[in-house]
Amino acid sequence: MNKTYYVCKYTPIELLTAFGGECANMNEMPKGFEAAEQLAHPNICGFGKALLEEVMSGGVRELVLVNCCDTIRSVYDVLKEWGQMDFLYLLDVLHSSGGCSRERLTAQLEKLAKAYGAYCGRSFDAEKFRNAFLLPKRLQEPHLTVLGARMGTELFEMVQRVMPLPVENATCVNNRTVGEQSPPETEDFHELMEWYAGELLRQLPCMRMTDLTGRKQIYNAPGLRGIIYHTVKFCDFYGFEYAQLKQYKDLPLLKIESDYTVQSSGQLMTRLEAFAERIDPEVYQGREKKMGKGYFAGIDSGSTSTDVVILNQKREIVTGIILPTGAGAAIGAERALEEALKKAGIQREDIDALVTTGYGRGAIDGGDKSITEITCHARGAHFLDPSVRTVIDIGGQDSKVIRLDEDGAVANFVMNDKCAAGTGRFLEMMARTMEISMDELGRTGLHYQEDITISSMCTVFAESEVVSLVAQNKSMDDIVHGLNKAVAAKTAALVKRVGGQECYMMTGGVSKNQGLVRTLEEKLGTKLVISEYAQLCGALGAALFALDMAE
Amino acid sequence: MDIVETFGSYVDKLSADNPERARRLLKTGWEAQNLRFRLMPEKRLLPADRHMAQLMMETMLRPLKRPEDSVVVSVFTPCELMQEVGLNPYNVESFSCYLTGSKAERAFLQQAENAGISETLCSYHKTFIGAAQSGLLPAPKCIVYTNLTCDANLVTFRTLSELYQVPAFVIDVPMEQDEENVAYVAGQLRELAAFLEEVTGKQILEEHLKERLARSRRTLENYEKFQRLRADKYVPADLVTPLYSGMTNNILLGTREEERYTEELLRDIQSAGPAKGKRVYWMHTIPFWSEAVRDALYFNERMQIVGCELASVCDSDFHPQKPYEAMARRMVYHALNGSIFRRIDAGIRHAKEAGADGAVWFCHWGCKHTLGGAQLAKKKFEEAGLPLLILNGDGCDRSHGGEGQTSTRLEAFLEMLEGEKV
Repeated sequence: MNKTYYVCKYTPIELLTAFGGECANMNEMPKGFEAAEQLAHPNICGFGKALLEEVMSGGVRELVLVNCCDTIRSVYDVLKEWGQMDFLYLLDVLHSSGGCSRERLTAQLEKLAKAYGAYCGRSFDAEKFRNAFLLPKRLQEPHLTVLGARMGTELFEMVQRVMPLPVENATCVNNRTVGEQSPPETEDFHELMEWYAGELLRQLPCMRMTDLTGRKQIYNAPGLRGIIYHTVKFCDFYGFEYAQLKQYKDLPLLKIESDYTVQSSGQLMTRLEAFAERIDPEVYQGREKKMGKGYFAGIDSGSTSTDVVILNQKREIVTGIILPTGAGAAIGAERALEEALKKAGIQREDIDALVTTGYGRGAIDGGDKSITEITCHARGAHFLDPSVRTVIDIGGQDSKVIRLDEDGAVANFVMNDKCAAGTGRFLEMMARTMEISMDELGRTGLHYQEDITISSMCTVFAESEVVSLVAQNKSMDDIVHGLNKAVAAKTAALVKRVGGQECYMMTGGVSKNQGLVRTLEEKLGTKLVISEYAQLCGALGAALFALDMAE
Repeated sequence: MDIVETFGSYVDKLSADNPERARRLLKTGWEAQNLRFRLMPEKRLLPADRHMAQLMMETMLRPLKRPEDSVVVSVFTPCELMQEVGLNPYNVESFSCYLTGSKAERAFLQQAENAGISETLCSYHKTFIGAAQSGLLPAPKCIVYTNLTCDANLVTFRTLSELYQVPAFVIDVPMEQDEENVAYVAGQLRELAAFLEEVTGKQILEEHLKERLARSRRTLENYEKFQRLRADKYVPADLVTPLYSGMTNNILLGTREEERYTEELLRDIQSAGPAKGKRVYWMHTIPFWSEAVRDALYFNERMQIVGCELASVCDSDFHPQKPYEAMARRMVYHALNGSIFRRIDAGIRHAKEAGADGAVWFCHWGCKHTLGGAQLAKKKFEEAGLPLLILNGDGCDRSHGGEGQTSTRLEAFLEMLEGEKV
């Protein structure tokens, strides 16, 4: 017999086990959603698509679903029509946990028992039922917890690898608490099911339930040192809890979103590492280096440019270099470092410690330590102006807003999600569409006449809007101002999410774009500090960390 | 929904700093529009539909004028009980549509997203939450909602209840269609009656409720008859009238005004001319703000909308003498409750009754039930002889546009329908 898969904590696993079933939580992350998108739609929740993929690939023959949400309802409809599973069942669990709900769930359990018994040709074994109740384990020691929408196995393993403390998965199905009580000593099946329905409904409520009071216990658990709040693209339940949590909870909190593919997990690495650095500053202190010639280097390997800063032991900037990254992070970094050494008139051996940061940080050989650009930007910004509390960095690949404390440590940060809108790449694409250079784009838009709004948030649709504005003979200044407004709105949203405070510094190459800077200042209602080293801020932070290693 | 847009842009700008002023402005703008509906109605519409535009505008104005007598509901909540205690129900979807019609939605969507609400949540819900968070919308007397057909209801209305600090009542509707479930929902509706009596201090008399349910039944029968009669008639259509019918057939079902509307429809259809062009039945909401959809379907004799599924979600075969069971039956046997195949079957049946040549399945951003069933719908509609166009878009948020794509798809669909005739 195959495994019987389930996806929801309200699934009566113990009942299925009592019929000799072997139950497993379906939690794998696929590489893509080809089959699911053909059968359903690209915009249903990623987990629903992952489930469809797994079933279509033949990995799941028996599946017991619960009417968790509209996506799971749809998955059931699609699979029912497909008609090729050995056993497919949808349990209609109501949304309250009151008496009526318990009564109706009892009836549902008895119906499922009948269907499953008929399918597997076995009858209910009371002993197996009793033995199936196992006390769930919970971490008591200092730990982090993942909350929110269910997290795929691969992503959770990655989180465990990166974090400096043990991590508990308390998302969705993973916070199942059935097993805290044992079944009553009765042989009457109906009585047992009545009790069991109560146990299933007594669990920590899921977001689909009407009364959520009990959920507070998961973020008030003893030993909890920080929360990673996970949401799945196109699953909307958990954004609501996150919105509340971020207002009231005084614990380090990181929000990440995945689309339930393995690929999307890789893109979350920077935020996870930055969070780990925040939880445990020891992470970036690294091994101690001996003071030699007294030069320290930081390399920021970004998707567009690679920047190098060399400091002397008096914390003075000896040199700073900005070169295009080119095809490979490692080669780009090597070239930029050589260039910087040449400009400073020193040798590679004169560098006592080297810290790498940025997207390509992991690909660079010869560094003494690698630290995320989040922590490095914060450090660099604090060095340049200690009054700065919020750093806005619009990068080529992603935008980030970092809030600092008075010591320059990261208090909170947000990054834009997997989408080019609002990033430097968005502006580059638009400049190409309008056939102007990035420099021209930076100057255009300052003297607009008509206040145009680009309504599409999607880069591809925005591009077609720009094409049609060009066709309507709208002036370049007006269009560019519209684009600046779009980027400024996206950025201001990130600032709001992180709880931005005065004073604000803008770093990165986009800070040279005067039109955008002005629009963003208007949107935020404040001035932005733009240092002459704005573009070198990440590399500067890295160099300062290198210097710490020797001190 | 040609509401004065200038007001909308001011509302959008003012909402962050001065929500009370934004609210006053919105009210003024909508009142001006209502006056326009009265003095200069759209002459191309049936007289009944001209009245409907006014009726809908008045329904949306009431919560701005008298919030203390209003109740926020999810669209498929039966509203007869609220009408009995003198509350004016208004639903999240319609209100957000009116904000979009006034081009005031952007700031509210952004506000909700900034607060941490998911970008992929239904835009109707997100706009409303943003408007509530920014203080534009005053607190209602209470909130009544149901999980029926839309899982976003569960989180949106709970959030609104916490935000406004007003009591909320939720009706839990099971998925399966059987008498036990009807009885279960009827029990909850009795509790709802007690809740409303407590909130308002007014009493619900069973005899009055029976009369109201009888009116609901007559209204639905009239509308069913109208949809059948229009099968060989040309009814000029814009993009909002089918939606108005959908909304009022839910939140105003049970009122004298709604019954009168359906009586007028039956009167007007008698003098309508013969059918023209291609006729499409619309599944789910209509992106009335889209120029591309307007170009294809707005008072267009070549192709018109002949019905929207939201106006035909339940049958009229209930017994007004058992009012609670009658309302419960409407919910349990609702076309959008349970499996997607029930919804698809109802769509096919109603499309055929209205004499449709094809149908559009509108995949509104964030509506997982509609999105998840899109391919199944295409298969089933086409097996039933009705070509189906799956159209992606957003009923409310302009930023999820893609006007070029929408235009090409609708135009090609029309060409395809016309080609079939040859």
